[in-house]
Amino acid sequence: MNTNTSSWLSRSKWILMAIGIPVLAGAWWAFRPEKLFINQKVNEAAPASLGTAAQPIFTGKLEGKIHATSGRATIYKAADGTRYLRLSDFKTSNGPDVRVVLVMAEDKQLDQEIVKGELDRMELGALKGNEGDQNYDLPAAADLNKYQAVAIYCETFHALFGVAKLEEF
Amino acid sequence: MFSTIKTGLTFAALAGAFLLQPSLQAQDSMKQDGMKQDGMKQDKMQDDKMQHEGMAKSLFTGKFHGKVHATSGRATVYQEGDGKLVLRLTNFKTSNGPDVHVILVATKDAMDDANFLKENTEKLELGKLKGNEGDQNYEIPAGTDLTKFRTVSIYCERFNANFGAAPLEKF
Repeated sequence: MNTNTSSWLSRSKWILMAIGIPVLAGAWWAFRPEKLFINQKVNEAAPASLGTAAQPIFTGKLEGKIHATSGRATIYKAADGTRYLRLSDFKTSNGPDVRVVLVMAEDKQLDQEIVKGELDRMELGALKGNEGDQNYDLPAAADLNKYQAVAIYCETFHALFGVAKLEEF
Repeated sequence: MFSTIKTGLTFAALAGAFLLQPSLQAQDSMKQDGMKQDGMKQDKMQDDKMQHEGMAKSLFTGKFHGKVHATSGRATVYQEGDGKLVLRLTNFKTSNGPDVHVILVATKDAMDDANFLKENTEKLELGKLKGNEGDQNYEIPAGTDLTKFRTVSIYCERFNANFGAAPLEKF
């Protein structure tokens, strides 16, 4: 009797193990739960031909305000540390005294089309053309933690042609 | 006769400027800018291109979004000098998981809970996810139509789960 029970127990143990272990292994293979806690970090360099070229650090899409404005504003950092803004796929309306400026992304003034009072801004230069790709050097002192948006701004009329809020690349 | 029309137009322009901007000083700068404006009209900038581009050109970019498995970062498609297309993930982070792949899907964007099998979305495999954190590159097969495959997805093949997606927009 005793031996019978124990042999039955051990047989059921065997069956349990024979089924349980593959099931557990299968479940582990399928879900890989340890991956919840293990990170696999990589840090590949940019494609070879990009290696020496300037790297984008911030980018944003231009949105039209008082005049239809479209395209992308990207801030690049060159190998020597200098930074520049590049407008690509860019189009805005032509106008008098239009400038490219850095502004504060949270500035309430940006909600308006015509800015009342003075806009807190950093000048990057006169708009080179109202269409096409173009670059603007950033002053070394430009603080991109403070100025996180690019605006196409007509100084004469305090008119915002378009604004791009920058996001980390 | 012609010059009369011309002077008339100039006066009309000045009058318009005066109406828009009440200060006389501004009117002056307006006149100056009017001249500058002519020179710059429809000025297509091409020269900056050469200064900027080394060998590779950025074509598309998009930001990752994903809720079920928090996914963040940016996907950018570059074209190298020899025409090869490369997808680069930067500032990238997703959750680790089994059998995770980087794919392109033929949609404008993918919902965070998208089911590509059920929705019958066309997929294009780029390779196994190299790491769930950090910058990484994936080759895009030659001849891929990026006007059709417009979204990058981090996709768990085994469970048909979209970890996160980045809709590509023109750079």
